[in-house]
Amino acid sequence: MQESPDDSDLLVILRHGPHGSSWLREGLDAALVAAAFGRCVSLLFMGEGVTALMPEQQVGPLGQKGTAATLEMLEMYDIETLLVDEQGLSDLGLSRDDLMLEVECVSSEVLASFLSEHRLVLTF
Amino acid sequence: MRYAILLMGAPYSHQASHSALRFAHAVLARGHHLEAVFFYHDGVYNAARLAAPPQDEPHLVDAWMAIASEHRVALQVCIAAALRRGLLDEREAARHGKDGVSVEPPFELTGLGQLIDLGTRCDRLITFGP
Amino acid sequence: MLLHVVNRSPATSRVYQQALSGMSSEDRLLLIEDGVQGALPQLVRYYAEVEGRLFALKEDLESRGLLGRCDASVQVVDVDGFVELTEEAERTVSWY
Repeated sequence: MQESPDDSDLLVILRHGPHGSSWLREGLDAALVAAAFGRCVSLLFMGEGVTALMPEQQVGPLGQKGTAATLEMLEMYDIETLLVDEQGLSDLGLSRDDLMLEVECVSSEVLASFLSEHRLVLTF
Repeated sequence: MRYAILLMGAPYSHQASHSALRFAHAVLARGHHLEAVFFYHDGVYNAARLAAPPQDEPHLVDAWMAIASEHRVALQVCIAAALRRGLLDEREAARHGKDGVSVEPPFELTGLGQLIDLGTRCDRLITFGP
Repeated sequence: MLLHVVNRSPATSRVYQQALSGMSSEDRLLLIEDGVQGALPQLVRYYAEVEGRLFALKEDLESRGLLGRCDASVQVVDVDGFVELTEEAERTVSWY
């Protein structure tokens, strides 16, 4: 059966920063695998998840890899839609220019429409 | 309808496993097909073969195994999340030189691609987080 | 129409805000696990904007001794009703 493009759309919502838990890494893993399987993947950094995009993040004291290197690979996987929750940024006193990647800021008014546009939404 | 469940909470730490099991039974009772339960994040601990809860508590691992055998529900465990957390089937135990096995069928270690596949193939995917 | 599922109490977690910001005007919200605290009259105000589209899981209210204390504006459903809500919604999004 032929799939319409919409059928392969996946939105991965990332709500955690690096190092504190494995949510971010495991969420990104799901996104990368989906992209490798040819799905069209969008990422939404929400709430605390915006800290995943801080440019000066490093490996952890015990050599934990962190997630910055993975984020730099997103383009290679054709994951190009990177959305950031405007509220999450302003809650932390950050702006789009502070982030390591080119992102699109979304207000909570349009956030809901992104969720309903995707065939599958996974929250991490 | 074809359903799948994504479970990301550890058993006995959070209610997520109980909620997912209860939901699974209700899905089946309403005549739907439950294709698979995919275990990810700390949800992989639901596959721990050696879990030994007290007798007056629900045995979650056994409950998943029962649902798998009675209703042909696949129990798919993310291999990367499982190996990091010490959950190895016979093949992986041999491959990593470990002398014990902590995951046994019907739980199967599998890749995240299965989750993406379920999400696309099934009519409904319901996530239970911690 | 999407079904959103929240398992945290608005008294202790901001997850409810994330869920609300992801909801469009048709979407429904189901409270489960500790999330059912949000059905109490004192806390239901957090969900004022989704009045009429707010559900709470009966079994989780019951096991916490909260069933009789649920606000009248909240629609109580059992787990069978939970499945029914997922049937009616195109997709389900969980917030935890």
